[in-house]
Amino acid sequence: MSTARRARKLPLLGVYTCIYLLVLYIPVLFLPLFSFNDSIYIAFPLKGFTLQWYQEMFTNSAMLRALENSVKLGVAVGIVSTLLGIMAAKAFTAYRVRYAGAIQGFIAIPLVIPFIILGLSLLVIFSQLGVPLSLFTIGISHVVICVPFSMLVLISRLEGFDSGLTEAAQDLGETPWMTFWLVTFPLALPGIIASFLLCFLISFDEFLLAFFLAGQESTLPVYIWTQLRFPARLPGVLALGSLILLGSVILVLIAEWFRRRGLAPTNKKVDTPFQ
Amino acid sequence: MADENFISIDRISKHFGDVRAVDDVSFDIKRGEFFSLLGPSGCGKTTLMRMIAGFEEATDGDVIIDGQYMGDTPPYRRPVNMVFQNYAIFPHLTVHQNLAFGLRKDRLGKQELNRRVEEALDMIKLSGYGSRSANQLSGGQRQRVALARALIKKPKVLLLDEPLGALDKKLRGQMQLELRALQKSLGITFIFVTHDQEEAMTMSDRIAVMNDGKALEVGPPSELYERPRTLFVADFLGWMNFFDGRVVNREGDTVIVDTEQVGRVKVKVEGNSFEQGNPVVVAIRPENIAVSSTELEGNVNTIKGKVDTAAFLGDRSHIFVNVHDGRNAVLTQMQNLGGAASRASSSAENIWLSWSEEAAILLAPSSA
Repeated sequence: MSTARRARKLPLLGVYTCIYLLVLYIPVLFLPLFSFNDSIYIAFPLKGFTLQWYQEMFTNSAMLRALENSVKLGVAVGIVSTLLGIMAAKAFTAYRVRYAGAIQGFIAIPLVIPFIILGLSLLVIFSQLGVPLSLFTIGISHVVICVPFSMLVLISRLEGFDSGLTEAAQDLGETPWMTFWLVTFPLALPGIIASFLLCFLISFDEFLLAFFLAGQESTLPVYIWTQLRFPARLPGVLALGSLILLGSVILVLIAEWFRRRGLAPTNKKVDTPFQ
Repeated sequence: MADENFISIDRISKHFGDVRAVDDVSFDIKRGEFFSLLGPSGCGKTTLMRMIAGFEEATDGDVIIDGQYMGDTPPYRRPVNMVFQNYAIFPHLTVHQNLAFGLRKDRLGKQELNRRVEEALDMIKLSGYGSRSANQLSGGQRQRVALARALIKKPKVLLLDEPLGALDKKLRGQMQLELRALQKSLGITFIFVTHDQEEAMTMSDRIAVMNDGKALEVGPPSELYERPRTLFVADFLGWMNFFDGRVVNREGDTVIVDTEQVGRVKVKVEGNSFEQGNPVVVAIRPENIAVSSTELEGNVNTIKGKVDTAAFLGDRSHIFVNVHDGRNAVLTQMQNLGGAASRASSSAENIWLSWSEEAAILLAPSSA
């Protein structure tokens, strides 16, 4: 099949693409726009430029507290989910697992269960078991929804992993343990980092489960939601939102960069003078 | 330790469930020998080699290398190194790092390490390629790197698992010669796994021909080619005519066989097997059959026929000759000297095929 077929010119396709991207991103761009607006009311016309809301943000201890909670939670969820994801992916790719398809599907089910159902059922379970609600209970729920992502990212990374490579390492004198650290781990590392960042973002972003399962400590999304009742706090939320937006974009770019770097083709033919 | 049985494969078996991948195989390999395991795919040659490397546990039997029973010794403690079929070059490391991988345990100084790596790069004619990523190498180069990576450890035995299979024919021929020369200059024992009989015959000091998990015959290429003792080996190596028949008489070492295809033939045999009445197979190589346009004196086995088809192979032609009024075909060959090929294929006249008593061999029909 020829992939070099010349694309036919579709002028309307370009127009459609522009409209699509504008609809997608203009609402998001209002966030940073109003975060610099010198007024507590989110309305046109703009009143003037200010950094006041950003300054206030750093003195808002409750908000900073929520941010800290979210970061801690995200890191923990990222690590735990990725570890579990590695184990699942390794099992599915390196060994012949009985009913592999069914088990994989089962692990992935949380992806399609509405979070409000998941949150309610976890709430029921925790209260029945007498587990007090805290960041810990939110963490558990986030791991449940993150493991499928982690597993899928890592399976695609470990699939096609040449078992000859680990055998070669052992043949060259390395124990299975060192073989893991010298060969398997570095080759899987881009996938591991991508999985961690993805899980971190999912946890950081998640509202419903965090809302249902929060104890005294709330996460940032939940905090933001509680602030919406107070108009005076809104510009501060916008400022925070803008920063988070920026951070998210950077994180996603980093994750994607790692994923791509890891996908370097191993059988690519490169012309070399020595043949 | 004696050089004759530097490596002993002692009654080794490997069963995968009901499948006997390797079935009670025994043979010795000499020190410094280029030894090939040859057989069709699924014959157990790779499994046998993986047992020598330690990647498969033997169901029964032992591998003894230089007087040491390998037993449960894991791969990373065996004095062997392997060149993998797909080379298994570490994609995340440079050529230099790939070569140095096996030396990590030796805790060499940086200078000594670099010297060894440079030496190895020199050996495979890839000097200056040390900093390249493994992904930037061609197939032939990857193959060389895999070879150097295994040899840099100075193993007692080097195992090669069909290492030339992925190369094109020309490069393969070149690598065969290079491998053979390298092995001679290093003096390391090579065990080479291949399904290509030509490759095995070109390179090996001795070959073990395997089929269905058994080592049928072990010997030098010329011996296996000229005096095969089994139907399988006779068939697997090169081209061969087979005539089924029955021993009708025996005068000393000369056995007279009545064959279905070419009538009565005389074959010289050694030993006392093949009694009168035994079913046998007469095997004769195409190049041992003389072709002439008149009946030749001297050769005891002569038969008249007509050329059916001729297959042009470049330096020689294979000629199928119909004998016994076209009921059977005999394969013979002639050298294509000075345009002989065009003459041979066009003649439809009677020709005579003949061969001596010593040219053919008698084999027992396959027991199956």
